[in-house]
Amino acid sequence: MNAFSAIVKKLIKLLPAAGNAKGPEKPLQNNRNSRAEDRRPDSSDLDRRLELVRERLGESGDLVTRVFTSGNGRVRLALLYIDGMVDRKLLSDNVLRPIQDDNPLLRHYKELRPNNALTLIEALVTNVSETATAPDLTQALRRVLSGDTALLVDGEERILILGTRFWAMRAVTEPETESAVRGPREGFTETLRVNTSLLRRRIRHEKLRLETMRIGRRTGTDIILAYIADLVNPRVLAEARQRIAAIDTDAILESGYIEEFIEDSPWSVFPQIEHTERVDKAAAAILEGRLVIMTDNTPIALIVPTFFFQFLQAAEDYYERFFIGIALRMLRLFVMNVALILPAAYVAVITFHQEMLPTPLLLSIAAAREGVPVPAVAEALLMEATFEVLREAGVRLPKTVGQAVSIVGGLVVGDAAIRAGLVSPSMVIIVATTAISTFAIPAFSASISLRLLRFPLIFLAGMMGLYGVIIGLLAILIHLASLQSFGVPYLTPLAHGTARDALKTFARPPWSLATWRPKVLDTPDRRRQAGNMRYRPKPPEERELTHEETGDKDAGKR
Amino acid sequence: MLEKGKISPRQAGELLFMTIFATVILFVPSIMAEKAGHDAWLAAFAGALAGLPSLGVVVWLGRRYPGQTIFQYCEIILGRLFGKLAGLAYVWFFLHWGAVVVREYGDFLSAAFMPATPLSVFNFSLVLLAAWAVVAGLEAIARMNEFIIFLVVTSLLAILALSVPNWELSFLQPVLAEGLGPVLRGALVSAGWHAEIATMAVLLPYLTRPQHAFTSGAAAVLASGLILTLGVVAAISVFGPDLVAVFKFALHYFVHTINIADFLTRFEAVVMAAWVAGVFIKTAVIYYCAALGLGQVLGLAEYRPVVLPLGVIMGTLSVTLFANVSELASFLSNVWPAYSITLFTLGLPLLLLAGSLLRGRAESNGQKENLNE
Repeated sequence: MNAFSAIVKKLIKLLPAAGNAKGPEKPLQNNRNSRAEDRRPDSSDLDRRLELVRERLGESGDLVTRVFTSGNGRVRLALLYIDGMVDRKLLSDNVLRPIQDDNPLLRHYKELRPNNALTLIEALVTNVSETATAPDLTQALRRVLSGDTALLVDGEERILILGTRFWAMRAVTEPETESAVRGPREGFTETLRVNTSLLRRRIRHEKLRLETMRIGRRTGTDIILAYIADLVNPRVLAEARQRIAAIDTDAILESGYIEEFIEDSPWSVFPQIEHTERVDKAAAAILEGRLVIMTDNTPIALIVPTFFFQFLQAAEDYYERFFIGIALRMLRLFVMNVALILPAAYVAVITFHQEMLPTPLLLSIAAAREGVPVPAVAEALLMEATFEVLREAGVRLPKTVGQAVSIVGGLVVGDAAIRAGLVSPSMVIIVATTAISTFAIPAFSASISLRLLRFPLIFLAGMMGLYGVIIGLLAILIHLASLQSFGVPYLTPLAHGTARDALKTFARPPWSLATWRPKVLDTPDRRRQAGNMRYRPKPPEERELTHEETGDKDAGKR
Repeated sequence: MLEKGKISPRQAGELLFMTIFATVILFVPSIMAEKAGHDAWLAAFAGALAGLPSLGVVVWLGRRYPGQTIFQYCEIILGRLFGKLAGLAYVWFFLHWGAVVVREYGDFLSAAFMPATPLSVFNFSLVLLAAWAVVAGLEAIARMNEFIIFLVVTSLLAILALSVPNWELSFLQPVLAEGLGPVLRGALVSAGWHAEIATMAVLLPYLTRPQHAFTSGAAAVLASGLILTLGVVAAISVFGPDLVAVFKFALHYFVHTINIADFLTRFEAVVMAAWVAGVFIKTAVIYYCAALGLGQVLGLAEYRPVVLPLGVIMGTLSVTLFANVSELASFLSNVWPAYSITLFTLGLPLLLLAGSLLRGRAESNGQKENLNE
């Protein structure tokens, strides 16, 4: 038996040697950063490894290597971390202090030696909640660059990784782009871990999955696919995984990069993936059977699959009374059409179809337009462009200066232009109404696409009147109808799917009737809740009539 | 498979409804009033019923050859050479039909709205749009139609409802004063349009549930017939049969008569918008059938390469086929119904069905003989 184990030990010793024997015959095919360096015989030597680290990371001011000894000078150790990404207090109180020689626990155990240092230290630093062991320097460095701390032991090849990530982060604040009167105030932040906790707190179900992927060759950005395992359509999930895994790029700085890489038709004006900053909206999407893609370093999460009419819905529709939800959805549908068509329709009517206007209105418009030197098309294009400039100027400027822009641009220039007779008041009304309408669309990405499409429509209206507008709208419709989002038609549920789902475009159902998840999403579990559970008051029971009701005045006396 | 998409029977029904209805409402009332006088409304509905046999034949054929369009089972029934010839004849039919529809569209727009604009502007803009839709595929056309059918039907029903105060129902009397003859002559026109339901022969294999083909097709024919009847009743009871016969686009002038509180007036441009969208769907469906058919007859892997060439032919034909709108109207009332019914929408399908039944009997006899041996 002893002989056998001896043979096995010998074999094990031989194995790395065999590997080394091969080494010189094969010239290094890999580049200088080759992982092969990790496996050299001195891969347990501390100084050699620190030198390697310096070679790889270069002279970076925030890289800290702290070499010290412990075990009465028997063991040389080194801490490796990036300053500013670690919790230094945790490091000094809960890592360095327990390893010091005067720690009674350390003395109580056995002597700290190079061969037992790793396991012993891992057992001692109980206050660090997350520890791991990295087999080589490459993997350890990857963790260090994410904010963990590496503990290197002289004479020990493996490296202890201590979870010490901590950095300055923005607090959870109210999402500015999607504010609501009623509803939670929490929005996503730039830190992925905080965002996942916000989601977990809303969905405390064991089937909530937060699948992590890392993309971006240089940024190494963490991506999380959040879904509920028994709700998400497996086909959509597989498709999303595959599309994200296929991304091979340098950098992912915002979820917009991912959006463009994974959407079905990047050459479309229309956004095919909805994004949100609201945690409740993301949670609602997950609970509906959709997939939420969260990206590190940005508060914007993506929702797939997306349908066009989703952009006309706000989280608040579901929190206010459902009649209001119905009214708001109808209003937004109307507003969307106004934002797209109104200026073009005005130009068409003024230029070609004056007979459509009632005579008094026509006369007043004609009187106002009398001094205007340009045709209505040019006037409209000019005004719309001016409005876009104003809006853009207001968005990029600091808030205090932004007001000045709106006053000078909107009030002063607008008023002066009308007085000078450069534009007609009716055109100003039309452009302003259109502008307000675009702001009433909850999703900025959808409203900006509609704004863009307004210009060709105005142009067509100026050329061919209402006929041109219709041709333009039909072209937009063809394009919309041919779009898909993760295999589901973009115009779902109005042009595809069941009548029940289609109705939800116009009206959000009262919760007591929202028994089923959308059928078009094809979720494995379609039922959302028990059906027919509206509270119904009990029929009034028979009761004793009061004396006033019976009119029996003597009753009290008896 | 040239077409990988699938549409639901409801979507197919809606597409076929638009395929029939988009032009019937514009041209047919005046043609029928000319032929059947004040009984035109009877002719309208009777003609619509005549679409049902046509539908029945193609659905029967579709059942016998599941998963195949008429272009494909032609070859099985008639043999390779004659099958291909019949397939090409159908491609021609769709091309010709498409050109006629595009011409109707252009003539109406230039006569009623923009007389100064050349015809080819309307025709080619429509063909171009339809080409784009055909390239987008059958599913996309069906999705567009879900919006457009809503627009067309609601706007039409709205103008019919708004015109009720102007109705003079005595224009419809006396019923059948001149016997059945004029009614039948009028019904032939309506039948010519409603037999276009035979387009189902191309769409049927792409239905998610082909067994519902007859139901959805019949619903399309009956809905179109009903709304047409309503439209004819409204037109005659507002203008009287003689005026309707004079107006080429009765429904268009009909909109002029509507006046609600001196504010809702002259909104024929809005109705025109809905109608343009409807004809667009009709053209897209016919164009799609022609492209798919040519692809299948020629055995192509994709029908998309033939879309643009077919569009150029269709657009050019639409401009050159007729010299003016009167020629078009006379073609539509005197030639088109007989031509399309006897040859393509009923005649050839009946022939194919007979051939298929004979062949089926021969084959089953052959099998029996084989068994006997």
